[in-house]
Amino acid sequence: MAKKELQEEKTLARRDFFKKTAAASVTALAGTSLFAHESAGAGDPAIMNHTKWGQAWGDPVDKFHYGQPSPYEHNNVRRATSLLSSGNFRASIAVTPIHESEGIITPNGLFFSRSHGGTAYVNPNEYRLMIHGLVEKPIVLTLAQLKRYPSVTRTHFIECPANGGQEWRGPQFNSVQFAKGFMASAEWTGVYIKTILEDLGLKPEAQWMLAEGSDNSKMGRTVPVDKVLDDAMLVWGQNGEALRPEQGYPVRLLLPGWEGNLCVKWLRRLEFSQEPWYCKEETSRYTDLKPTGKAIQHFYANEVNSTVTSPSPEIPWTDVKEGDIVEIEGLAWSGMGTITGVDISFDGGKNYVEAQLKGLVLPKSWTRWSYMYKIPKNFQENGKQIILASRAMDDAGYIQPTIDQEVSVMGVEAVYHRNAVETWEVTESGKVNHVEIRSV
Amino acid sequence: MLKLEAYKKVIVSATVAASVAVLAVGCVEDVKPENTSSTKSAKVAIDGGSVYPVVNGKTGPYYAPEQKLAHHLNYGRVPNAAELAAWDTDLQPVSELSPEGHGIPEGQGSVEDGEELYDAKCVMCHGDFGSGGGGYPALSKGNAEEMHKTLTNNRWKDPEAPGPVRVFGSYWPEVTTLWWYIRDGMPHPFSDSLTDDEVYALTAYILNINEMSIDGEEVDDDYVLTREKFLKIVMPNVDGFEPNIRGANALPGVRAYFANAKNFGAQNLNQGAVRCMHDCQKATAQVKHIKFGGIKDFTPPMSTVRDLPAKKAEKLDVKKTYTAACAMCHDSYLAPGAPEWSGYTANGMDEVYAKGMKGTEGGMPAKGGTDLSDADFKTMADYLVSGKVK
Repeated sequence: MAKKELQEEKTLARRDFFKKTAAASVTALAGTSLFAHESAGAGDPAIMNHTKWGQAWGDPVDKFHYGQPSPYEHNNVRRATSLLSSGNFRASIAVTPIHESEGIITPNGLFFSRSHGGTAYVNPNEYRLMIHGLVEKPIVLTLAQLKRYPSVTRTHFIECPANGGQEWRGPQFNSVQFAKGFMASAEWTGVYIKTILEDLGLKPEAQWMLAEGSDNSKMGRTVPVDKVLDDAMLVWGQNGEALRPEQGYPVRLLLPGWEGNLCVKWLRRLEFSQEPWYCKEETSRYTDLKPTGKAIQHFYANEVNSTVTSPSPEIPWTDVKEGDIVEIEGLAWSGMGTITGVDISFDGGKNYVEAQLKGLVLPKSWTRWSYMYKIPKNFQENGKQIILASRAMDDAGYIQPTIDQEVSVMGVEAVYHRNAVETWEVTESGKVNHVEIRSV
Repeated sequence: MLKLEAYKKVIVSATVAASVAVLAVGCVEDVKPENTSSTKSAKVAIDGGSVYPVVNGKTGPYYAPEQKLAHHLNYGRVPNAAELAAWDTDLQPVSELSPEGHGIPEGQGSVEDGEELYDAKCVMCHGDFGSGGGGYPALSKGNAEEMHKTLTNNRWKDPEAPGPVRVFGSYWPEVTTLWWYIRDGMPHPFSDSLTDDEVYALTAYILNINEMSIDGEEVDDDYVLTREKFLKIVMPNVDGFEPNIRGANALPGVRAYFANAKNFGAQNLNQGAVRCMHDCQKATAQVKHIKFGGIKDFTPPMSTVRDLPAKKAEKLDVKKTYTAACAMCHDSYLAPGAPEWSGYTANGMDEVYAKGMKGTEGGMPAKGGTDLSDADFKTMADYLVSGKVK
């Protein structure tokens, strides 16, 4: 065969391949195997054909001075919704695609983004941090001066306490990104505030610290000194680089395990006082109204929590079949300690077995868990569609409540701190639906 | 100077509330705490959680060298009086310890002036008489005392019942919060732009639309709010929050509150909770599905396909842009083609364009907060004024 003909054949085959792949990726979702043509003996075109990227120069090494994800990953992104669009998306949230998250670190570009007056772009050269009030010596620091303090690096999640807060009265989001993605996790670098206070001297009557941002909303919160003298940090590093603007560049407060809202971004001022402040976002919002008519204020920690992340409504089991062994994976986290175990249920929380933790298990951090599962016929056990549920525990003794348990104390108007067991129904076709199990 | 040791003693002296006897109901199983090789302390943090003190040079799994510094680091400098005055502008409420509160400035403003300001700078987002609007919070839902009674409403057993009303008048425990936030955070696209007297006037107006009284006197349409009167405001929900955080010795109470899981709807295995493994549900348990398809208007739309992104359309989509960037305010104020536009177009469209691009005191952010090109912004302005897409 002449060389030219060979080339044409190859080109045709490649075109054919692209057509087929496009078709196959659609049918794969409907449950047909991508590899059906193997049995026909033709061989997988992805193996049989040369590829574009294998037969030509790739990009020069200096094309991107800051690397970008593969263009094929363009759907792995933060998302927003008009339900949560307050202030023309300036007092709003964009949530993390946890259905695509790997491990226990969120890439900085996918870290959920929440602000009360828009993302501020602070000039680091004009950055000043003032620490004053009930300290022996008030100070003002530049960014460079702040970074001279001895640094620590810690892995912690940050979670908006409204994670899952739209679903007190019933499930609303058929999506794990929106049902549980008001959170993300990173390795943070900064300085313990107690280290700075060793230098400044805290007066004994101090009970509270005001943390105030420099952004358009001057976001402020009151923090008890217990936390300040335990593990509170001022952080400037996020996964090995500077904080992203959405995370408060150049400096934010990090209160490990506590409400994301308390971890004030674009931080400019810490003031110590004997009395608390009553900032807007610690009374009008971020308070949990109980059926008694009283509301919990200063509800600090995000309690023990977990969810299945695979399968999910976004990436369901429509391509698996009876008898397949698949890994069910999920995240567990607690702002009150270290995850000690996760139980998994296949009947919506009626019966549980132990799942396995995997990877690093760190305090106040995302923790991965896993369970190898044999897919039953029609995704049914005992004649019922399986309903996946996970229930985590931590080393402070906390265990996730059922919805009934949590609602019996908190009612359904609390908005924040909902950590009841989440449930995911698998349909006969392998689709996954977010459901809730309630007795009341 | 180093007072930290005293604090550490206070913190670690907070112990767990007496652990509740385990009720042997149903299926109690052995709790096997795995991974408890951590250096968790027996003490409880103020939030009810674990504490990881530095033990043998480690906190939890992290190495944590605790270097005792021979002398102070002395980074930074002491702020001068002018700098402190510029930034130390927070407000704290009136209390037993501080009868004058903290940081409450001199000044005054009338309900009448407040209403005028409100109509000029606030109404486009917060609605007539603070009734709220697309995506912005309501400031009133009527009489504060009456709204306050709704806080025990709970749609737990009856989803159709009226819910609680959580607006300034019914819910906020302190009025200083309102004053402080108006001055520092409002109007939302132009914060830090109001004088103290203007903030008093707006506060007076918001008290008025919440039908509140100060020291027995109704905040009526002729009311003038002064600092002295402001100090006497008692909010209907002043005692509506737990745990108590007021007073010189508040922290022990906060610690005790969160040491008891029952206070905040949590389950703690050390306080009588049960890790049920078998037959854990009531017979009445039901599977609730998402109603009416649930919320799906995600931006960008949900997809997990791995393909190459579509080329972005360069052409301006007027209607789409309006919905995304303008409708929230303009649907209720100067809607597309609204007759009220005639009050703005007398000097021609160039003035409308210029004002819109710069932003206006009336609450319009520069280019409506969009990153449209000048040409596209003008197209949008044409649409707003005429109501027609060219």
